[in-house]
Amino acid sequence: MLELFSAGMEYYILGFATLVGFYMAANIGANDLANAMGTSVGSGALTMNQAVVVSMVANMIGAVMAGGHVTNTIRKGMIDPSLLAGSPEKLLLGMFAALLAAGIWVQLATHFGLPVSTTHSIVGAVVGFGIMAVGFGAVSWGTVIAIVLSWVISPVAGGIIGGGVYLFIRRKIQTSETPYEKTQRYAPWLLTVVFTVLILSVIFKGLKNLHLNLGFGTALIIAVPFAIAAGYAGKVLLSRLGGEGCRWIRGDEEEKVECVFLYLQIITACYVAFAHGANDVANAIGPLAAIFAVVKTQTVSMQVEVPAWMLAAGGAAVGGGLLAFGSRVMQTIGKKITEITPVRGFSAEFGAATTILICSRFGLPVSTTHVLVGSVVGVGFMRGMGVLDLRVIRNILYSWFITLPFTLLLSMVIYKLLVILFA
Amino acid sequence: MRTTFMSLFYKSPFVNLNRHADKVRECARVFHKAVKCHLDKQCEMFDDLTDQVAVLESEADAIKRNIRGHLPKGVLMPVDKFQFFMYLREQDKVVDAVEEALYWLAYRPQGLEDEVGEDTLFLVGKVIPAIEALSPLVEKASEFFKSRSEALRNEIKSVIRDIRQAEHEADHLERELIHKVFSTVKDPLTVFHLIRLVETIGSIADHAQNASDMMRAMIAE
Repeated sequence: MLELFSAGMEYYILGFATLVGFYMAANIGANDLANAMGTSVGSGALTMNQAVVVSMVANMIGAVMAGGHVTNTIRKGMIDPSLLAGSPEKLLLGMFAALLAAGIWVQLATHFGLPVSTTHSIVGAVVGFGIMAVGFGAVSWGTVIAIVLSWVISPVAGGIIGGGVYLFIRRKIQTSETPYEKTQRYAPWLLTVVFTVLILSVIFKGLKNLHLNLGFGTALIIAVPFAIAAGYAGKVLLSRLGGEGCRWIRGDEEEKVECVFLYLQIITACYVAFAHGANDVANAIGPLAAIFAVVKTQTVSMQVEVPAWMLAAGGAAVGGGLLAFGSRVMQTIGKKITEITPVRGFSAEFGAATTILICSRFGLPVSTTHVLVGSVVGVGFMRGMGVLDLRVIRNILYSWFITLPFTLLLSMVIYKLLVILFA
Repeated sequence: MRTTFMSLFYKSPFVNLNRHADKVRECARVFHKAVKCHLDKQCEMFDDLTDQVAVLESEADAIKRNIRGHLPKGVLMPVDKFQFFMYLREQDKVVDAVEEALYWLAYRPQGLEDEVGEDTLFLVGKVIPAIEALSPLVEKASEFFKSRSEALRNEIKSVIRDIRQAEHEADHLERELIHKVFSTVKDPLTVFHLIRLVETIGSIADHAQNASDMMRAMIAE
């Protein structure tokens, strides 16, 4: 039997946990982030290299600024940590088992081409270890049900927002007699909305550590002037960049519209990467932070401060995963998906990022890929996307039913093995 | 590596529809040559040209089958799938009718009667623009479904109007030609042959118009 909290073991545990956590983070980068940036590469808003740089930077900013500086010891309150108060080693091994189980499942699923979510994997794995360590009573089933419901609701919300934005653009801009003139009128407002949501999410999540506790109304009062300023800056830029003989916005009316949305899509691409950082980096870093806290304090605390360096490192690992394995995915997306125009890409990305940020605000871990699929389908239902294979939705439904039980059981098995080995 | 996101996007059938329309246009060019050749009576290339049309027809058929075979249930399109298939069917019928018209010409290797020969060529000349307009129609439509631009929509409507006009004129000529056949040709077998030939040539424009009508339904707001 090994002594878990001995001085020598501490480094092994932390080292191995960091490796597993970063392995998970790299997996997230290779899959989720690559998908999230796919629409921008597909429409030509960003080249492959630009997409990698933009997503790495915005993802890291999202992770550090809005990635949850304070997170529950056990992810999202699925398990009552007080039940583990007397046995920190259980939490340590459990988080280890959860990270490992989720990592293995994501790796397996990627190999077999299954559309699984890294978020759902980690949720299932944490619940699994909770059942094994304490029992069914330890799991806050209400929270779990709320999370599962959010998986269904979030793609639908993404679809409604994405489809709604596309319909607005089509009705007000594309089908008008003077589309470019209408773009000049409406694009600054769209920019204002993008920035409102973005600033609100930063205020709510990123500034939490300042203990400002701002109400929604106050946050809105702060966010709206900044967002209007951003919209106004956009309006000024549009008037400067769209003049006669301009090399930035040119072509016929339709090409000019697409060109403006190309620039807007670069912003929404950052928006998506930011939302991804805010939402998904915590999947790998949350459990890792819990392991670090247990090893350092040898107690189970109700809440754990996730150090900014860890979030940044997580963001970097996600970026590394994208760089190492995701570029191929993005390249394929860029080549194969020619149906995404900047207007379509903007609408889908706007719907996805807004949904993710709203869900993130309510502490609901949702899948970036699934929300993005939802918003692309939403645009498709408005007859706005090329040809979409809705059978993917069926596969996603299957993945919902498979991921949770699989990671739950795998986490239980790994936890049991670790207990036999260490406890 | 194939991801969920990638699997969502399905190959656009408009690429193949465009290829199909190109085959139809190519057919029109060869058809015009073939009819001229047949009326010339000295021309020896008629069989070759008919064979060329047969090859083009079979290639167009293969494209049609490919389109139909690759749009399974559960695929969401920017247009109604039923209307899309109806369009494809009508566009394909244009080539079938062209091929059939050439077969009817081939049934009388000695050539057509002098009194209707020129009129038949004139009728073919009226039908050709309707066929040739299908290719730009599809090209513009696939652009339109991407941009939803009102200007493009108006351009498509203009092409559809041109096809309708060509069909209307072809219809008029067809009736006049049938009238002429009845009044000038006395041999019943020849009358039967000419009527079938003229009707088949006229049906080419009818199918082109049906296809354009279906396109009009597809671009309706």
